[in-house]
Amino acid sequence: MSATIVVGTRKGLFLIEADHAREAFRLGEPLLPGWEIHHACIDPRDGTLFAATNSWVHGGQLHRSSDRGATWERAEGLGLPEESGLKLGATWHVKPGLADEPGVVWLGAEPACLFRSDDGGATFAPVLSLLDHPTRERWHPGAGGLICHSVTLDPDDPARLYVGISAAGVFRSDDGGGSWEPANAGTAADFLPDDPYPVVGQCVHKVRVHPARPERLWQQNHCGVYRSDDRAASWERLDGNGLPSDFGFGLALDPGDPDVAYVIPEEGAGNRVTSGGRLGVYKTADAGATWELSANGLPEPAWSVVLREAMGFDAHGVAFGTQSGFVYARTHDGPWRETARHLPPVLSVSLSTWP
Amino acid sequence: MAVVRLQSLLAQEAGTRRIEVDAATLGEALRRLPVAGLVLDEHGAVRPLVNVFVDGEREHDLAAPLAQSSVVLLVAAVAGG
Repeated sequence: MSATIVVGTRKGLFLIEADHAREAFRLGEPLLPGWEIHHACIDPRDGTLFAATNSWVHGGQLHRSSDRGATWERAEGLGLPEESGLKLGATWHVKPGLADEPGVVWLGAEPACLFRSDDGGATFAPVLSLLDHPTRERWHPGAGGLICHSVTLDPDDPARLYVGISAAGVFRSDDGGGSWEPANAGTAADFLPDDPYPVVGQCVHKVRVHPARPERLWQQNHCGVYRSDDRAASWERLDGNGLPSDFGFGLALDPGDPDVAYVIPEEGAGNRVTSGGRLGVYKTADAGATWELSANGLPEPAWSVVLREAMGFDAHGVAFGTQSGFVYARTHDGPWRETARHLPPVLSVSLSTWP
Repeated sequence: MAVVRLQSLLAQEAGTRRIEVDAATLGEALRRLPVAGLVLDEHGAVRPLVNVFVDGEREHDLAAPLAQSSVVLLVAAVAGG
């Protein structure tokens, strides 16, 4: 199936059209010049193109386009209540609602806040239950700030959703965002020497629900790779099963096979480049029991940086981008292919098909 | 009416470099801009890296009165990278 690779960069947004075999790629002209695109995606419900746009002068915003990027509108009402004493920082992750939730759009942002839109992203309101969470005083910013960077939905239950916050951990809501429970049992926070397994304070880097088996979640954390098979009630650590490092950011899945996941290990928090002098993607096909290097078609040697949002997937394949401006893609069974080079630093990659 | 002049990203977002605004004060003028959310934060304060000039002078007071002939210039702070 053909696809569009949506690439957010530090200097605008790029769309790469991929053919059916994911062998031929066509790079479009830059969109949204002047904006840093922390994340962008196509809404599978109606083809709206969303971009979490940021400017160090003009703040965190959300743009949307209904004509594949030709024209854009900016969301209204993005901001935090004055009584919170907080101001909105960067916007980090946009997540369209489920197919049977027309108009619902979620937006994760800094400082550890979540917004909901019920009108397709025209206006947003902050989710106060997360803003006022009783454990908030124990949340601390990671290197990217105190950011809500993952919003992932249970496809079978519109009331259940999860957020990932650095460094606070994973939180699950079973009532549509009305309340949130920490969901970090078994995940480590080795940087907290007094309590390496706290209730909150973990530095989750990316968390995703498996779309075909929603009780299963995968997580790339500052301290390990994890899988949960009980809706994040508990987590099993998997990086000791053959990964060169416990540290990384990107996480991709195969919607057709819940046992498949992809990660890109980095040397560690103190040296955030890909492990072993190679751009190595590691794939598991047995739910994390073993991991296999998947580097066919990738350059070597390489000391690359792949950021948390810079790896996307669909039913047919995976794509990721580097801080050095290269974007690679593969089918779930094929070799990696370079799709674009010399882009600005890549901040996000998502794979979508226009509806 | 006062004139607000826009540059760079503000002009790109507004689709114009010049907007006429019927406003008695600087704050009124900024709040009526189609790019108000890029100039002001959610609490109504001028974003710290947006520099505001009225008739050639730096202005920090949103209550400052505007004349019919006033020209407001919005300039983003500049840095490399």
